[in-house]
Amino acid sequence: MKTFLLTAALLATLSTASAAGTLVYGANGDPVSLESGNITDGISILVQHQIYDTLIGFKPGTADLIPALATSWKANANATSWTFTLRKNVKFHDGTPFNADAVVFNLTRWWDKAHPYGFRAQGRTFEIVGDLLGGYKGDATSVIKNVVKVNDNTVRVDLNKPSSVFPDVIAAGYFGIASPTAIKKDGPKYGTPASKPIGTGPFVFQSWRTGDRVTLSANKGYWDGKPKVDTVVIRGIKDAAQRLNELKAGTIDFTSDLTPDTLKSVQADKNLVAVKKPSFNVGFLSLNNRNQYLKNQNVRKAVSMAINKKAIVDAFWNGLGTSNASFVPPVMNWANSKNVPADYKFDPAAAKKMLADAGYPNGFSIDLWYMPVSRPYFPNPKPIAEAIAADLSAIGIKVNLKTEDWAKYLEDRNKAPGFDMYMIGWTGDYGDPDNFYGAYYGPNGSSDIGWNSITVQNLLEQGRAATTKAAKAKVYAELHEFTYNATYRVPVVHSSPLAAQRSYVKGWIPSPLGSEAFNDISLVGKK
Amino acid sequence: MGSYLIRRLLRTLLVMLGISLVVFVFVRSIPGDPAVAMLGERATPEAAAALREQLGLNKPWFFNPQNPLDAQYPKYVSALLQGDLGAGIKSNIPVKDDLGTRFPATAELSIAAMGFALLFGLPAGILAAIRRNSVWDNLATTISLVGVSMPVFWLGLLLSYFFAVKLGWLPPSARLGNETQIEPITGLYVLDSLLRGDLRAMWDAMRHLVLPAIALGSIPLAIVARITRSSLLDVLGQDYVRTARAKGLDFRAVNLKHALRNALLPVVTVVGLQAGALLGGAVLTETIFSWPGIGSWVYEAISQRDYPVIQGGVIFAALVVSIVNLLVDLSYAALDPRIQYR
Repeated sequence: MKTFLLTAALLATLSTASAAGTLVYGANGDPVSLESGNITDGISILVQHQIYDTLIGFKPGTADLIPALATSWKANANATSWTFTLRKNVKFHDGTPFNADAVVFNLTRWWDKAHPYGFRAQGRTFEIVGDLLGGYKGDATSVIKNVVKVNDNTVRVDLNKPSSVFPDVIAAGYFGIASPTAIKKDGPKYGTPASKPIGTGPFVFQSWRTGDRVTLSANKGYWDGKPKVDTVVIRGIKDAAQRLNELKAGTIDFTSDLTPDTLKSVQADKNLVAVKKPSFNVGFLSLNNRNQYLKNQNVRKAVSMAINKKAIVDAFWNGLGTSNASFVPPVMNWANSKNVPADYKFDPAAAKKMLADAGYPNGFSIDLWYMPVSRPYFPNPKPIAEAIAADLSAIGIKVNLKTEDWAKYLEDRNKAPGFDMYMIGWTGDYGDPDNFYGAYYGPNGSSDIGWNSITVQNLLEQGRAATTKAAKAKVYAELHEFTYNATYRVPVVHSSPLAAQRSYVKGWIPSPLGSEAFNDISLVGKK
Repeated sequence: MGSYLIRRLLRTLLVMLGISLVVFVFVRSIPGDPAVAMLGERATPEAAAALREQLGLNKPWFFNPQNPLDAQYPKYVSALLQGDLGAGIKSNIPVKDDLGTRFPATAELSIAAMGFALLFGLPAGILAAIRRNSVWDNLATTISLVGVSMPVFWLGLLLSYFFAVKLGWLPPSARLGNETQIEPITGLYVLDSLLRGDLRAMWDAMRHLVLPAIALGSIPLAIVARITRSSLLDVLGQDYVRTARAKGLDFRAVNLKHALRNALLPVVTVVGLQAGALLGGAVLTETIFSWPGIGSWVYEAISQRDYPVIQGGVIFAALVVSIVNLLVDLSYAALDPRIQYR
């Protein structure tokens, strides 16, 4: 028995020393599916980023497009047709070649509801295609009209209406190109733990223990150079405090989505480096036009003026957020109007007067709904809502704070008459303002405030059709002014999610879009 | 005994069917639907409606006048009777597959937690009863009070911070270290690694089990200690114990042989009840310790309104509780010859 214990202790010491080539990431949960095109959650996309390449990539740390599986892409004159030239000599992890057939297979599989390998009968939805590309084959609203193989290395996508953002959309992490052979082989199981997801990406899928971890190994023949670590382990650790514990104990190498209030604790640990991810989100307050008070524009303006956004952001984001008067995050400042002030004016006295002029000298009573869950843009919604309520009570508006279960919250906000005022937000999918405005002001996104302006719809159309950045900037500046003056949605924050790494982790450049491939990360002197 | 068992098992089957109906109606009565939950911030009414249709959630629950077989519950039950629990709405993973990997994780954790509770709870209760009103008694009572009242998630984080981050003795969470691989046989990692003769993996699995087992076992420990104490005190006051003492039997024989065996009956009942409660406690413990078990899985499914997962998880949990109850009943007969099942 004693020998056994001794041996066991010895082995334990051995097992705690990890191989230098294993990079361990602490994710805030488990992936849902490893089938590209069929998920929308951040962790699935993060894992997919390692396995799959998209046609177009992003320059590290930015939302600017760079070549990936497509070496170049070009539109016709009015941006109704896009031609992609594909990279040659790229192979999927299963050894099959990447070519135009593979691209056409993937694109039509997502878009065509009748595709034999779409497995729609098994509950596949590919909802993101409906969401970002207007709909599916045969839908009047579908952006895509046709996907055509021109030759082995060229694919053309014809569109139903002009779209200059099509390359940005197709570059989003959802649209990783998978091996058609693997999809045909695994059938409806493809993407579940019982399958082997196959892409062209920097890492090759090894195993997935649901609820626990995904293990990947380096793709030694990767077209963009061999990854700098041999193995990547992505562990699901839901609790943010526990993720920090794991990082401090050295059982994971880097992690994201820590709560802003742990910044000091990270900075105080000499083994750790705090990483502020670039902000690519907006947390805002929606004001409902169906509410008898809020349908008055001056009341909405008074509300926006009464809230001390800067103080709130300072207090609850610990320096990890900025407050401005724009729906788009600061990296897309080019899309903002110079006529709109950098931030909403905070002036309770003027707000109170404006409220009195609108006919409510004694204020009124109103509901404010806050989210029951933590999101990067609102890490702790309840105290933020309390601060907003306190600011509003200073001008006489009595706020009743309300919340409910997240699934119900998401449903109820879209019911008429809906919530009077409510907190919500958005994290971007691709680097174009269309994604931010379109999500809430677009033709599908507006039933939560009972206001859907024709002007906004027209501007959104124009933005999508604009082919030069200058033309785009002009349209979005106009949209910015119009929505700012309408004051239906009051941006509160663009937050920089807090991440952290062990000091030996080198080369990690977090993407503003939420996740990136880990092939450039190395471990220098990890013990 | 044989016919009793058959009757019990038949009754269990009926109960399971009843539960399938109750949970079917219940999950669909919770406001908030799966399509909206799945779409998150993107959920517009149009998108949600389209998704609901794709998922077949727009079909009637029990009866479709156009096509009687095309309703949700009849389809569900007929699949259930063939052992098919469906697949998760979000993940497309068959519920059966997930149960197969997640239940062993919960079982292993629960067994360890119950083992911990008995290992410390029983002696504490016995000591407290035998040395009634002593320092030991007060200590045991205080500890069990603290154990019952301490929130599991807080205790879990505290244990993890202290033993993993500060002292570095144990891993903070998960079932295995980053380099350890175990090819599952039963899914119970400690057992599997032993069966495969991989002592290193077994040691790793055991080390990962310690903190979550303590967190999950703290409440049953406290309850076991309290019940053991009061039950043993009861028995010690009985005539036959006095007789045994008067006969001149020594301290150990009286307390442990005569009294303890009889005092254990209520303890067994409590252990049986706690086995059910452990499934509940596992929700928090598994979330805190990233333990890929059934608790965190069903919890997540509830917030996502993932109907097949919730239904499958609840039906399975009910089955486990029924089986544990049956075992408890059978063990009464073993402990007390006066109890017989016919």
